[in-house]
Amino acid sequence: MGLIGVFVVRMRLSAIGYSMSHGAFAGAALGVATATNPLLTGLLFASGTAFLIGPIADKARLHADTITSIVFPLNMALAFVFLTLVPEVGLSSQVANVLWGSIISMTNADLVYLVTLFAATLAIVYFVWKELFAIMFNRKLAEADGINTKPFIYLIIFLAGVVVTFSLKLVGGLLIYALLFNPASTVLQFSENMRKVVVASPLVGMATTVSGLFVSLFFDLPVGSCIVIVSTIVFAVALLLSPKRRRKEENEK
Amino acid sequence: MVRLKTQNTARQSNKTTNEAIIKLEDVSTVYEGARRTAIKNVNLTVKRNELVYVVGPNAAGKTTLLETINGMLPTFKGKASVFGLNVQTHARQVRCEIGYVPQDFMVKPGEPYTALDVVLMGRYGQIGFLHHPSKADKAEALEAMKLIGVETLADRPMGKLSGGQQQKVMLARALAKNPRILLLDEPFSNLDPDSRGQIPTLITKLHQEKGLTTLIVTHDIHHMLDQCSRVVVVSGGRITFDGTPEKALPLVENHPHTTSLEATHH
Repeated sequence: MGLIGVFVVRMRLSAIGYSMSHGAFAGAALGVATATNPLLTGLLFASGTAFLIGPIADKARLHADTITSIVFPLNMALAFVFLTLVPEVGLSSQVANVLWGSIISMTNADLVYLVTLFAATLAIVYFVWKELFAIMFNRKLAEADGINTKPFIYLIIFLAGVVVTFSLKLVGGLLIYALLFNPASTVLQFSENMRKVVVASPLVGMATTVSGLFVSLFFDLPVGSCIVIVSTIVFAVALLLSPKRRRKEENEK
Repeated sequence: MVRLKTQNTARQSNKTTNEAIIKLEDVSTVYEGARRTAIKNVNLTVKRNELVYVVGPNAAGKTTLLETINGMLPTFKGKASVFGLNVQTHARQVRCEIGYVPQDFMVKPGEPYTALDVVLMGRYGQIGFLHHPSKADKAEALEAMKLIGVETLADRPMGKLSGGQQQKVMLARALAKNPRILLLDEPFSNLDPDSRGQIPTLITKLHQEKGLTTLIVTHDIHHMLDQCSRVVVVSGGRITFDGTPEKALPLVENHPHTTSLEATHH
């Protein structure tokens, strides 16, 4: 997941503009949980998201798409956490699993699928690394050097689709964005070497997943939501500590 | 194998002197979008070892003209061939023979690519699908960097280099594939004063020593005018003049939009 995330982030294939509505959703969920007007809390969250995305994108010098893709699952995760706080919410466990995932429902077969998928992704990336690297740098230049870029873009979109589908059980369909974007975006704060980014992103992904799992067990909250919240916190810390940002600010002074 | 064969044919035919290497016949753009300026009924023949200056005001169609030559223009009317190969049906072979430096290319600070990564990418099209760059490829890339005088920057992150240094790295990238043709789009813009003097000298050296057929697109005729053999003036998507630099100068100087870099930048 973290591996494919590198390419999705670098090629700017990320979706635009889901964050606002889901900010409202998280707010409304908080409203229900705390018995205040859901409309009011929804509005607060949505406008909060809007105010966050622009300035963060500016400050972090990330593409607004990337920020959107990080804020979107964070809002969803918060919404689900708030919803589980409401005792009357009676979602069937199956529905709940699809929405926010459950590591407990993972079977051995699921694990085999995921490991196979990881090996296959690794192999594909190894063999077409040269093309992917050039396209991430600049698609037009890659074309000018004689690389037919279209099949490789389609390959990444296809792989992202497959990886998302197979990871559904773990984090749930609505939170899956976080695992795709957060590790890659976190590592890109630190490294100026694309090869290191590709190696480190899956590792960061694994570490945040395991930490999220422990947080979930400790506080008895949904696993998917905890993974998303932990990986977003890790990204936020990375943003604050990033030597790249600091150097730029110094240059500006 | 296919690539090698085409390259060999291209190189053999290249030996004939005065042979037309680039040939545009009645080329016109079909779709006119915001990103590309239209060109209309352009006829242009460039012979081996020529150094051609393509000048004209902004949005005259100069870049579109270059993009037609390396097959980057997806659809157009008319015929365009390089080494006798149709640029659309043989795009990959044609592009492997052309070193291209685009306009205003700047890598942002913090981007995870070293200068050597960028130069080596110039060879990727030739290496072939499923193959990784070999030691020989890396040596060629370093050789190109040495030729331009940027070999000491090889391990530096691209985004941390100055505009002039990046421009030189991009020139090395274009040379890394050992091209027969060099297409340079506004190579004198974004340069610091030091590089502004060096880049024209470098281009002249490459043209003379490597015998590269060179096309330079610029809005400023004054750089290197004494070195070029021919000036093509593009205006409103059409070629309005094609001749010697001496004859071109009064024409261009009278044009209100074509100014020297000095006038634009100071």
